[in-house]
Amino acid sequence: MCSSCGFPSAPGHWTEAGAPTPGDRMRARFRRAQAASVLLQAYGLTARDDGAVPGVQLSSRTGATQIVPDFDAVWTEAARMAGQPIDPLSDRFLDDA
Amino acid sequence: MTTPDFGADRLKLVLVGGYLGAGKSTWLRHQLYAGTFQAPHLIINEAAELAVDDAIFADRYPVTLLSGGCACCDGREALLTALRQLCDQRSRAAGPQGRTSLAVLETSGLADPGAIAQALRADPMLAFHLALSETIVLVDAQNGAAQLASEPLGRAQIEAADRLVLTKTDLAAPDDTARLIATLRRLAPGAAITADIRGEATALPDAIDAAPLPLAKDDRAPIQPVQITLPEGLDWAAFAVWLSALLTAHGNDIVRVKGTVQTPAGRLLLQGIRTHVQPPEILPDSDLARDGTIVLIGRNIDAERITRSITRFAAPLL
Repeated sequence: MCSSCGFPSAPGHWTEAGAPTPGDRMRARFRRAQAASVLLQAYGLTARDDGAVPGVQLSSRTGATQIVPDFDAVWTEAARMAGQPIDPLSDRFLDDA
Repeated sequence: MTTPDFGADRLKLVLVGGYLGAGKSTWLRHQLYAGTFQAPHLIINEAAELAVDDAIFADRYPVTLLSGGCACCDGREALLTALRQLCDQRSRAAGPQGRTSLAVLETSGLADPGAIAQALRADPMLAFHLALSETIVLVDAQNGAAQLASEPLGRAQIEAADRLVLTKTDLAAPDDTARLIATLRRLAPGAAITADIRGEATALPDAIDAAPLPLAKDDRAPIQPVQITLPEGLDWAAFAVWLSALLTAHGNDIVRVKGTVQTPAGRLLLQGIRTHVQPPEILPDSDLARDGTIVLIGRNIDAERITRSITRFAAPLL
């Protein structure tokens, strides 16, 4: 992709579909980071998307921060940071009320 | 930045798979004759060094032949190279007239279409230029039952299919065909099943009461479809995050994902094979829409846990 003009546009990750306007896209970015944090907090991690930096910022409670491009990378990187796979069906998440 | 393009102007790829001798070439030849595919570019993959099939098609449509290696493993690089070249030619075409919009890949009888889909997804160039539109798997009514009883590969092919086409039903007893259909429904609950004899559509025998056949020894749990109704108030963005987490953690157990969801852009069609989700398509609104219901097909899927997990996601965020 041309780094000056962005042509051709990246296909985008499938989780980014369904947001037709720039406003929708921005809202969806915040919403995705918020939703990911619901699961990640069971593993001591948070996801942030400040709308300015491309990608999602993952942070641990010790302050380690990584920026990842999309939601496939979020889960693999989070698993690395947490030292275990991030599983939405795990007891750790379901019983972490 | 331009708006991301989710597959509107990509080269569409149809995979035609099935076990050795299932009748892939015969079927494809008839479909081309009948005009099922509009001006396709054919890609024929043969695991053997000596290719035969390309001679059948070469006079009518452009053909790329990949011989001497199966496209899902040894010949993967050759397939990716051929597809990249095709996309490259397309990009260079002066206008829409000169562009190929459809490619049909006839896989070798030893290929697992699921593995090919994953390879396409992982390729940095094809991810931009190609959209896998359908996986059609042919099953030989005469020998299919024996293959399923002895070959795990036959199962993997069927599990990856969007559409199953039974061939040679005229050579098999209707009762045997009915049992085979019952087995296929169990292996691929989401796939449509039709029957063609030498490519011509024919009626399926009634398989309501037929008992499924015993399958190749596979210690894994059977594949079951699970319907998940999305909780009220769960928006698409949160659902997409949840599904991507689920597929990352359990992609090897979940063979297919299908469903439609409402989003700000309209109805989105979601389709996935294992950990790979195709770029969602926007669908027209219809009265028959069953939005908010997702079908997961796979092994060891605990519907109760899934429902609990997604309900936690939908709960007001702390």
